[in-house]
Amino acid sequence: MSRPLHRMFLAPALLGLCVSCATVPPGPPPDVVRLQNDLDRLHTDPRIADNAGAELGNADAAVATLARNARVLDARAYQQGVYLSDRLVKLAEASALARYAEQRGTQLGAEREQLLARANTRNASSSSRLYTYSDTATGSRRDELVPRSRAELMAMQNQLGGLESRVDDRGLVVRLGDFMFEPGQSALTPTAQQSLDSLARAMQGQPNATARIESYGAVNDGSATTARAVSVRDYLNARGVDLARIDVRGERMALRSGDERGSRVDVVVQTTVR
Amino acid sequence: MRRYRLFLFAALAVSGAAAAVDRDAAQLELAQATSAVQSAERDDAVRYAPSDYDEAHAMLVAAQQASDNRAWTEVATYAERAKVGGELASARARQQRAEAATTEIQRSVDTLRAQLATGGSP
Repeated sequence: MSRPLHRMFLAPALLGLCVSCATVPPGPPPDVVRLQNDLDRLHTDPRIADNAGAELGNADAAVATLARNARVLDARAYQQGVYLSDRLVKLAEASALARYAEQRGTQLGAEREQLLARANTRNASSSSRLYTYSDTATGSRRDELVPRSRAELMAMQNQLGGLESRVDDRGLVVRLGDFMFEPGQSALTPTAQQSLDSLARAMQGQPNATARIESYGAVNDGSATTARAVSVRDYLNARGVDLARIDVRGERMALRSGDERGSRVDVVVQTTVR
Repeated sequence: MRRYRLFLFAALAVSGAAAAVDRDAAQLELAQATSAVQSAERDDAVRYAPSDYDEAHAMLVAAQQASDNRAWTEVATYAERAKVGGELASARARQQRAEAATTEIQRSVDTLRAQLATGGSP
């Protein structure tokens, strides 16, 4: 091949290469692709898409702005954009999941009320069997062999909707977790109030039942821990349980450092056999 | 959100952005960031979203230190991060609390269902 002919092929090839480089836009940077993928995941997750507020729109806008300008931003502005966009995506996810959990809690609360009503109906028909234990100690079914006071506590437990509870040697222990109180406060959440309503009703149905309120909290959180116990006592009293039946010992139990999530209030209900 | 976008555009318009943020704008960002982190604290983020809260708090401290040095661009950068970090910590705390409450109610529903199915007491 002669030299001019060689040039004749080489020149168009180089020109074509340059044109293709200039016309094919570079893809978005990996950070932006990751953020876009995260957003896609949020949009396809029904828990998030169905509960998306303004936060998801903000995240969309931030990532879109970043994607448009990623190639022209200087390194500092780009990093800031990636940081903010990443947090806005996470904010959108957390906000939507919080709404989802709150809605789910409301639905479950309604279901719990229905189940509770059914359980109460059943309990009314079976309570006489439980209470007559002392007269029928030779009954053949082992699960009927319970002292009367325990039977009363179990009957009360059946009426507690939405409360973590158990019957043990101390009595009927009703546990109010940390999340049952407003953040950093002694005020009860609406969910806790709704749950304590059922405890108050159960106690009104058992005039011989008394309650001891035990508060567990961090060592350096004394006044707040006691205030929560008092808050529970006052709420029960406001729902018709006489103060004489409620003992707030102010027993603040020290939790291990780092175990703050174990903060709680236990309501220990006991009955005396009439 | 608008502020974040404005910052992006400002950074884009002024390459390097060194002189783009004046003292008033930086201090406004700092005040908003302080408010967001305090709000997260009230929402119990220290307990329910400790890593998010710690990061937001660290950014706020960095912004305050930059403010002491009158480095306004640094102030704005860290303050924006602290603000969105505080909002994230609050949201995560809300999520954790809501999920804990829902789990508790779910447990009681399961217990009631089991009771009704067996006809006994747990």
